[in-house]
Amino acid sequence: MSYTIPIGPYHPALEEPFKVKAVCDGEIMRSATIEVGFSFRGIELLCQKRNWMEVVTLVERVCGICSNTHSMIFCMAAEKIAGIEAPKRAEFVRTIVAELERLHSHLLWAGIGAEDIGFRTLFMECYAARETVMDQLERLTGNRVNYGMNRVGGVNRDLGGLPDLVAAMADLRRRLTEVVVPGFTANPTARARLVGVGPLTRDQAIEWGVVGPVARASGLDIDVRRDEPYLAYAELGFTPSLRTDCDVFARVVVRVEEMLESIRLIEAAAAAMPDGPLAALDGWPTIPPGEATVRIEAPRGEVLYHVVSDGGPTPARVKIRTPSFVNIPAIEAMVPGQQLADLAIIQASVDPCISCTDR
Amino acid sequence: MTAVTLPAAFADLPGVTGVRASANSLRIDLDHLEPAALAAAVARLGLRLGAVTGTPLAPEGETEMVYHFVALDRLVDVAVVSRGRSLPSLAPHLKPAVWAEREIHDLFDVAFPGHPDLSPLMRPEGFATGMMRGPMCGARRPSAPVPAADLSE
Repeated sequence: MSYTIPIGPYHPALEEPFKVKAVCDGEIMRSATIEVGFSFRGIELLCQKRNWMEVVTLVERVCGICSNTHSMIFCMAAEKIAGIEAPKRAEFVRTIVAELERLHSHLLWAGIGAEDIGFRTLFMECYAARETVMDQLERLTGNRVNYGMNRVGGVNRDLGGLPDLVAAMADLRRRLTEVVVPGFTANPTARARLVGVGPLTRDQAIEWGVVGPVARASGLDIDVRRDEPYLAYAELGFTPSLRTDCDVFARVVVRVEEMLESIRLIEAAAAAMPDGPLAALDGWPTIPPGEATVRIEAPRGEVLYHVVSDGGPTPARVKIRTPSFVNIPAIEAMVPGQQLADLAIIQASVDPCISCTDR
Repeated sequence: MTAVTLPAAFADLPGVTGVRASANSLRIDLDHLEPAALAAAVARLGLRLGAVTGTPLAPEGETEMVYHFVALDRLVDVAVVSRGRSLPSLAPHLKPAVWAEREIHDLFDVAFPGHPDLSPLMRPEGFATGMMRGPMCGARRPSAPVPAADLSE
């Protein structure tokens, strides 16, 4: 006889409030349905009530983890409408902060993933490594999250102490390669909890329209940083991580490899940092009538903003499509035939951000 | 895929009233939506539905929908306006439309005939369907800031 197990919206296995209802036969899940909306804040409406500079601050609060992603893509959309080109140095600064944010997001995820499989030691190691990144973000921007770096036309401040940043990245690479990577990939207990769990085939990944590490772990070779290069990615060179295992283990490996690539990108950007101004204009931006659709690669995958200006002091429309909005529904495809005990790590493997999804 | 082949591929779509190409994007305007034809066209071209933007045009009026399709290196925006606050659903053909249309139904009260499940996605209990139509159409427009030089006077 089938029975339904409701998990959430508030549950120790969930990072943020959402609800999974799993239909089970014994310990085996047959299907699941997802409910979201518990953190709906109406941010898209609020964007129409604030001027172009205030919206930069507002959208930075869409997410507490990829905060820089949101302020940066909004500025890029406004710049596209207004025909403003951010200076080269600003693009390198944005690239470094974006990759530091990816490191902090992936390490946070890795810690939670370790916790979800009961691997407390690895959880502590991931969070200790994450502190290296958080310390650098605080030193460079003044904050651990919500960095306030972006403005329409460039960035608000320069990055000081790049040699210290490069030294910290070397230390982080050592921590990752010596502890975090083998902790997930060589430890037999971790492998037993990850390999073959929560499958999402390549065809399913296409069907559900997933993005980011979830897509790349299912063999979809998509990454906006390479496919439609922005900021300094074309100059720095970039190779996406790709796996064809299509399971939770593959999603772990993709994120681990991405962290090592982020370190390389930060080191390369620091070495090649060009001289020059930090912003294309001083003071208040004037955004003429027009519209722009822009996408960038956030830690969890492609973020898409559609911004419309009618020439007024506020945006006429700001549409925000986060990666979790398309990745979370695919949990329903990963569940059938899986153990109920694996539901925690299966849902975590898409790195669901409810703050982003609900906006 | 090139910018030349994409507009040509969409030109035969039923209801096309305009095609505009720019450096890395394409905008297709439709006067009505035929979901099966649109889904077949994007499947042929290998496009992915990335997002759907709904914008209410008046508190009691229609809603403009922009379907954002992603090619590898460019975006294709397909725009159409609802008729009688209704549009045929893309969800039976494209899974990413399921949540996107549910959200737009929740917030802007657009009906999507053919959608498998229009139960609330974002709308909290106690709020009416279309709760964001009025507020979004009447959003306050703050005046431009006073220049810094004037503040010092």
